[in-house]
Amino acid sequence: MTTSTATTSTDFPIDVSKKGLGFNKPQQMGRKLWGPMWVMSIMAFPIALVLGIVRANAIAGGESEATIAALGHTTTGIMFIGFTAVFAAISFAIAGILGEFRKGGGETQELVSSEVRTLKMAPTAKILILGMAMGMMTLLIASIVHLVVAAQVSSGSLSLAGAETAAINLEAVRRLGVAVYLVAITFGLATIIRVLRFQAIRLRELV
Amino acid sequence: MTYAADAKLRPAEGTDHTESSKWRSRGISLAILGLAITTIAFFGNLVSVGQSGADQASTLAWTFGVTTTGFALTKTAIAVVLWGIILKLWLRADSIKHSLPKLVGTPGADSTPLGVIDTPFGKVAVADEAPGPLPIHKMAKKLFRPMVAMGLMTVVIGLIVSFVAAGTAPNISALAWMQGLQFLGEGMLLSGIAFMLGTILWAIRTAGGEVQESLGVKVYTPKMPGLAKGFVALMMLGLMVSIAQFIGYVVVAGSSDPASAFAWLGPFREFGLGLILAGITLSLVAIGKVLAFQFWRVQNLIKNGERS
Repeated sequence: MTTSTATTSTDFPIDVSKKGLGFNKPQQMGRKLWGPMWVMSIMAFPIALVLGIVRANAIAGGESEATIAALGHTTTGIMFIGFTAVFAAISFAIAGILGEFRKGGGETQELVSSEVRTLKMAPTAKILILGMAMGMMTLLIASIVHLVVAAQVSSGSLSLAGAETAAINLEAVRRLGVAVYLVAITFGLATIIRVLRFQAIRLRELV
Repeated sequence: MTYAADAKLRPAEGTDHTESSKWRSRGISLAILGLAITTIAFFGNLVSVGQSGADQASTLAWTFGVTTTGFALTKTAIAVVLWGIILKLWLRADSIKHSLPKLVGTPGADSTPLGVIDTPFGKVAVADEAPGPLPIHKMAKKLFRPMVAMGLMTVVIGLIVSFVAAGTAPNISALAWMQGLQFLGEGMLLSGIAFMLGTILWAIRTAGGEVQESLGVKVYTPKMPGLAKGFVALMMLGLMVSIAQFIGYVVVAGSSDPASAFAWLGPFREFGLGLILAGITLSLVAIGKVLAFQFWRVQNLIKNGERS
């Protein structure tokens, strides 16, 4: 039976155990890592903003085009390190919420039932993890390439035209990375709906 | 279902708790549509590398508009899924209300004094009655729908302007309006999502209070955690930055040499979105902590009840 027509907890793919299963590995990681990621993002955003203001002053002050191009790539690179981190923090926080449902649901069943039923990891949760990894790698690589291009154009080993071409290509890659991240987050939240439905059904079975 | 809470923010009477959520499938479909649209713009961007002059400026203008619209659709998808979460939270609360009296039996005596106590989950208010909504909850409940709707509309207006900019490239004025409008829309959409998360916190708090009240026990409600305060501050600051960047772009639209202003307005608009996203992270963590508290409370009621 598919879960869309599920009316009992056994219609869902579940693990059955005597004790609650607690947090799984991704949930443990989410609980530990949302904080460092959040801190990284909250540091990167203002740094990038200040660099943007420095670049605006460089343009107004008639600085060399190489300096302006290098500052542009550096600003974008750091800003998107911030976005990479904040999207990771959001994904980890969603994993943490799923963990609370899994741990709390298991412990509650343990108190009142001889059988603890725990949802297996849903396909939507797997897409959250996969999408997060893909989005993170895409954004991180684009950000690092921005910083490399900044160094190259600054040292004169890359032409201004080359820097401009890189900016357009990297912008495209960054945007795709953001879209993948947002879709992954949507799937993570969709997993919460499934867990809520499972718990609403399971709770009534306990009496 | 006899919640005193707003009727429009909970499922209709008689909703089947076993039914799958149509909001979940709609949200996922919309997110995939957003990704598809962004992918089209991605290829447009790559093609623009081989172009020059007005042709390149034209392609870059419409790809900007289309990409941001793809993002906006995906954020709307997130809002749709969050709405599904709000409705399912109430149905789960109904199930708790249905089962908890039988699982607890006669509740155990509770000598905890009324007032504020410390728990493993922070400070908790103990009262005889379920608490009302906090001011931020009232605001979130009222504002999430208009913010999401206005945000999406603003992004779509920006998309139309991007087509105008593409057709008249190079057109500095249209480019400025396009960027300002679309990032204002993105900021409003993210703020709408933040308000929905505030509404979820309200739903968890209200349902938790009413479940305890219906059981005839003291009502334990977590005090507003620092995480939630940080969430509100970051979200408001981010929204203000999003409005300020729009004003900045409108001013620049009349300028003949906007290069310097564009150089700081770009990071400024992204800074605004970053702040709102940082706030959203804190609200999600706060939701996790409140859920952990509620499981702890339910388990204590069961452990101390006469049935145990």
